Amino acid sequence: MTDVLVTGVGAVTCQGYGAAALSAAMTAAAPPVPQRLTDTPAVMRHPLIHRVPGVASGAVALAASAVGEALDDAGLELRPDLRAGVVLGSCLGEAGPDGSPDFQVASAVGRLLGAFGANISVSNACAAGGFALCLAADLIRTGDADVVITGGADAYSRVGWASFDRLGAVDPVRCRPFDRDRQGTILAEGTGILVLESAEHAHRRGAEAYAKLTGSGWSCDAHHLTAPEPSGEQIIRGMREALAGDEPGCVIPHGTGTVLNDLVESQALRAVLGTAADRVPLYSAKALLGHTGGASAAIGAVMACLILRDGAVPANVPLDEQDPRCEVYLPVDAPVPLPVPRVLVNAYAFGGANASFVLEAA
Amino acid sequence: MTTPDEDMLITGAGTAIRGVAGPAGLLRPAVPEASADPTASLTGRGLRYKDRATKLALCAGRDALADAGLLLDPGLAVPGESVGVVVSSNYGNLDTVCDTVSAIAAHDYTATSPMALPGTASNVTASWVAITYGLRGVNLTLCNGATSGLDAVSWARVMVRAGRVRHMLVIGVEPANPVVAELVGPTFDGAAALVLESAETARERGATAMARLGRHARRETHARAVGDVLGGLLDDRVDLWCRPETAPGDRVESAEEQDLTALLGPASGALGVVQCVTGAAWLRERAGGTVLATTQGADAAAATVLTGAGAAL
Repeated sequence: MTDVLVTGVGAVTCQGYGAAALSAAMTAAAPPVPQRLTDTPAVMRHPLIHRVPGVASGAVALAASAVGEALDDAGLELRPDLRAGVVLGSCLGEAGPDGSPDFQVASAVGRLLGAFGANISVSNACAAGGFALCLAADLIRTGDADVVITGGADAYSRVGWASFDRLGAVDPVRCRPFDRDRQGTILAEGTGILVLESAEHAHRRGAEAYAKLTGSGWSCDAHHLTAPEPSGEQIIRGMREALAGDEPGCVIPHGTGTVLNDLVESQALRAVLGTAADRVPLYSAKALLGHTGGASAAIGAVMACLILRDGAVPANVPLDEQDPRCEVYLPVDAPVPLPVPRVLVNAYAFGGANASFVLEAA
Repeated sequence: MTTPDEDMLITGAGTAIRGVAGPAGLLRPAVPEASADPTASLTGRGLRYKDRATKLALCAGRDALADAGLLLDPGLAVPGESVGVVVSSNYGNLDTVCDTVSAIAAHDYTATSPMALPGTASNVTASWVAITYGLRGVNLTLCNGATSGLDAVSWARVMVRAGRVRHMLVIGVEPANPVVAELVGPTFDGAAALVLESAETARERGATAMARLGRHARRETHARAVGDVLGGLLDDRVDLWCRPETAPGDRVESAEEQDLTALLGPASGALGVVQCVTGAAWLRERAGGTVLATTQGADAAAATVLTGAGAAL
């Protein structure tokens, strides 16, 4: 089977521009302070957001910025003869001036890059970035591309923010996954981009790799439009398929801060890891960045690459008190060594669409 | 990954298009004006909060699964984990999204209905199809412009080849409603669906094939996409060309031509799937031949070849 390598990463989050800013924020582990929205027509109960600093821009502009960084990082130039694709996920798409979305983010980024091959926009809600990453790997493994620019991007959308607010899914304090008092999530802007390459292509040009994408598992709850299936049967299946019997050294959970989702994911992790759940560290990305929607799993993948590079799992943003029903290990005092160079990333979405994938040291 | 391209088969198809009586109805020269709404066949609770695209997709998906022998009464004939779905639509739930935008602009967020808001999620149609028919495999939603339908068929093949599922349901759907009409004018109102699986899987379960899925290409221009899928294939002979919505600069020489846009209206993200269902029905009626489906937009063009199933099983 063709190995799929990550040879470049890029990110833009509320913590700043670039993977270096993300890495610094992971080290600092300071909880971000949500801003108040100033979109006048959208009167909300909890008008909170984690914005990308600087001038407001849409999903395409965010993605384009991180694509440039990732390509530079990979030392790769997209030549016309390169068999390349662009596979990007977005939950909310590129919001137009009236708030209506245009989901063709990959097409727009492909046009900017002059890449017109197997470009695809994946619209799998909050798991879109995870699905995009796996699709990109499939494209390389089936021999249809040598290089794929992949990831996810989401920016402020009046409909997205208002919907979460109206559904009572916003935490008025902060995004605090697995906390006893969590009340929901806080949506955020952001993008995570990865350059995936076939090992053969990367080796031929002497590229260094952050990680190897070794496994992925997809499933669908087929249960409810917004709620997870309580037994977690399908997310367990996805994780087991991705891990293929191996134990991870770290898990970046979907962990949004909503009461039921965190509980079901915790229980599913215990089912998959058994007693190892007591010692396999979780890195709770959304506590640091908020919920970046369709970008979240892609940013999780970038974080996984940084964790593999550094050989350590950063301390999590401190919790007030961990929910005793969420029996997972969240180190908060200090970084812990990565016991095994293998990181599992989970991505879940409305409709019960689940994607789990594993990155290992290359 | 392990299954060669030529071993991917279409084993079932369905439509939900007013005036079109199943896939074979797409081969007729005209669509009767007065006919029943295909979504009238849906029954049960919860229809009130489903948008039109979802209802159309549920009808076409149901008929395709049944045609492939995968959906029996009362449910799936195979494990739900082995069946995935990919939905292609550019305007799918735009009505729900825009209604929400209008409600917020006119009042505030309290004017929106918590029951309707989950319908603003971009993957709502694929989610409802999975929930309704118990499809626990791959669940994908693609909004990829004019090439989206053919892209969805191609990605379904990738999913089967990658071993993620054994059977993929591909649905192309676009709803006609005031929101879409205001945005782009009159459009197609309907859905088409097909089931894709490997020849090996079809053989194991004794399924009958309609057509064989051939090459697919997505390129910068129509000419390049067509050239790449036809190069060296049967002396480039095409028996039926399902042409794009807009006339390409380069024509394809074919014995027959089918302009589904003229027949049904601009089908946007659904067109590629409607074309493949049409091609599969055409191949089933004639027991062979070569069908070329092409779509093109401002950003790219796509081409897909279908051939007769022949002795595939």
